[in-house]
Amino acid sequence: MNTLELRAVSKSYNEFKAVQNLSFSIPQGAVFGLLGPNGAGKTTSLRMMIGITIPDTGEVQMFGEPFRRKHLLRIGYLPEERGLYKRMKVQQLLIFLAQLKGVSPEDATKRSTWWLERLDLAKWANAKVEELSKGMQQKIQFIAAVLHQPEFVIMDEPFSGLDPANANELKDVLVELKNAGKTILFSTHRMDQVERLCDSICLVNHGVAVLDGDLKAIKASYGKSAIQLEYEGAAAFLERKDLIESFNDYGNYVELRLRPGTDSQDILRLASQNARVTRFELAEPSLESIFIAVSRGKDLQEVKHA
Amino acid sequence: MHNVWLILQREYLERVRTKGFIIFTLLMPLFIVGIVVGPQKLMTRKTAGAHDIVVVAATQSIADAVKQELENPVVTDPDSDEKEVPNFAVHTSLDTSEQMQKELFARVNSGDLEGYLVLSEQAIADRKFIYKTRAASDFVQTVALRTAVSSALSRQKLAERGISATDSDKLLQRFDMDTVRIDQGRETKAGGIGTVILPFLLMMMIYITVLVYGVAVMRSVLEEKNSRVMEVMLSSVSALELMAGKILGVGAVGLTQILIWVGLGVVSSTPAVVAAKPYLADLQIPTMVFVFFPIFFLLGYMLYSCMYAAVGAMVNSEEEAQQLQWPVMLPIIACSAFAMEAIRHPNSPLAFWLSQFPLTSPILMFVRIAVQQPPMWQILLSITILIATIYGAVVLCCRIYRVGILIYGKRPTLPEILRWIKYA
Repeated sequence: MNTLELRAVSKSYNEFKAVQNLSFSIPQGAVFGLLGPNGAGKTTSLRMMIGITIPDTGEVQMFGEPFRRKHLLRIGYLPEERGLYKRMKVQQLLIFLAQLKGVSPEDATKRSTWWLERLDLAKWANAKVEELSKGMQQKIQFIAAVLHQPEFVIMDEPFSGLDPANANELKDVLVELKNAGKTILFSTHRMDQVERLCDSICLVNHGVAVLDGDLKAIKASYGKSAIQLEYEGAAAFLERKDLIESFNDYGNYVELRLRPGTDSQDILRLASQNARVTRFELAEPSLESIFIAVSRGKDLQEVKHA
Repeated sequence: MHNVWLILQREYLERVRTKGFIIFTLLMPLFIVGIVVGPQKLMTRKTAGAHDIVVVAATQSIADAVKQELENPVVTDPDSDEKEVPNFAVHTSLDTSEQMQKELFARVNSGDLEGYLVLSEQAIADRKFIYKTRAASDFVQTVALRTAVSSALSRQKLAERGISATDSDKLLQRFDMDTVRIDQGRETKAGGIGTVILPFLLMMMIYITVLVYGVAVMRSVLEEKNSRVMEVMLSSVSALELMAGKILGVGAVGLTQILIWVGLGVVSSTPAVVAAKPYLADLQIPTMVFVFFPIFFLLGYMLYSCMYAAVGAMVNSEEEAQQLQWPVMLPIIACSAFAMEAIRHPNSPLAFWLSQFPLTSPILMFVRIAVQQPPMWQILLSITILIATIYGAVVLCCRIYRVGILIYGKRPTLPEILRWIKYA
């Protein structure tokens, strides 16, 4: 069964088309990435899934039936714009938010105590929210999103603003949730973070889905078309437009995409003429380079044959 | 409904616990009594020293009669009580020359003298005299002077015609009048100033609470918007539930406050209430006033808080809110301007229409009820129009609210707001 299915959903604000004809589905228990640059329509899509805004056309299926407000009790949402009632005490606020999700005050108290300990916030339970650091507030917000044990967790940019230690802690919790059979939806523009966690993805740009499906399948369909290259010396070979379709300089290494028909060994020879190659690897393209290629409007088929 | 209740509860508890609530609850009655009673107290307070004045008269007997009358008034205005009589120290002079007047003028100017009164032959014949003072706006003083002079002169004339002092005192004593209000077939004694003060006081209560709590709703919406907590809430509750919970929660705080004030009023040992006693004494408040007070407060509050919620959703900062709340505040401020008219002429066409127009009726219909109960159909019509308007306002404002709370950045223009209303 699909936890969520969007069917040709569109939303416009005046002339601005925020989301156009977006369709994808998330199977139960999957970790799904909704990816795209800022302003691509990700947040609007999320808002339409949970009824904050209503789609102009199209349909949202939740847990196998048309979306209704009662479904919200089974969904956890971490919005990109983080916010809490600043003057409330931490645990009181968590209990209040859980009650809105239909949890009894007793259960909410028990669970929030457990979560606060789990995320090292126990001693702040009676502090006011405004006394907490930003990172701590973000963890509180995360707890609020999962306190009612939702089957479906939606997270908009969950890692933004977290230091590496906290981000790692959060990632561990998410893996636990995944192992417990929850469906998770990430929305982010940081593709590298999601790459490690997601089963399947949908790439959106300018409100339109440009690529979607199983992450492994997508990457496989591009083949080992990318070359990751570390070198010292002249980079003139990168300008050989007849052989190289595009390249992405990451500083420590370059990722190249070859023109159809180019032999990778030619590149190695070319590079070693003028520079000292320290690493040469045929790799699956990173999500980021796929995205860049796709969003530049390249014909997908052409890219795939590279 | 459960969600509305939870939001209401949170809103209520968070507010009632604040110091601001406690302070406002305690200070408000003092403030209202202060602005009503204060000026009167100040006006009628006995000035510490006596007012030094000089009476310049053509004859010694006239001068003495006026002096006598000013220092020990026999004839008093029954509406005013003892302490309203200013304390004069009267000096007399028979010198009506220009020279003398110049000298007196200089003394008044330097502050050595409070004022001087010229009762020349001519002035008496014209029945018009001149009092020169720096405190020309102190009408308590000028009224006392005029009363004293006219009764002193009248007494003299009467004495000239052989009427004894006791008789002339009786003749000159003014008549007292009691106003009795006929209302719903019953008679209630409506003692002088109280009939005006009570409706005015109650009107101020509704006026200030509606304004204060309307603004509270607006600021609370703005705060939720600015702290970005709005989206978290919307993932659990609908915009309508959020708005309803907030308005009802804040309204419940307002109602609590009013009940506390009524409670404080009952405990009449409060100094403020004691101070107000003389003005409220022997005034009977029609029972209907107590029935309609909470009704009109709640209806008025509902209407205005909806509009304030919409304003809060439209703006991004306190400054913008200040500007945009003016159109909402205007009718309610107009109410206080028209209140005196409604108190004096509760049945005039103007009062009638204003008490039916929904933006002014919560206050002005209530004022009319407090002054003189209008026909029941008028009250019911007013309430019906009000409820229908509230329904419309809830629908309209909720649409603005729903869109506005998720939009940050530039303040929306009017066409944009109209578009929001049209959104599904």
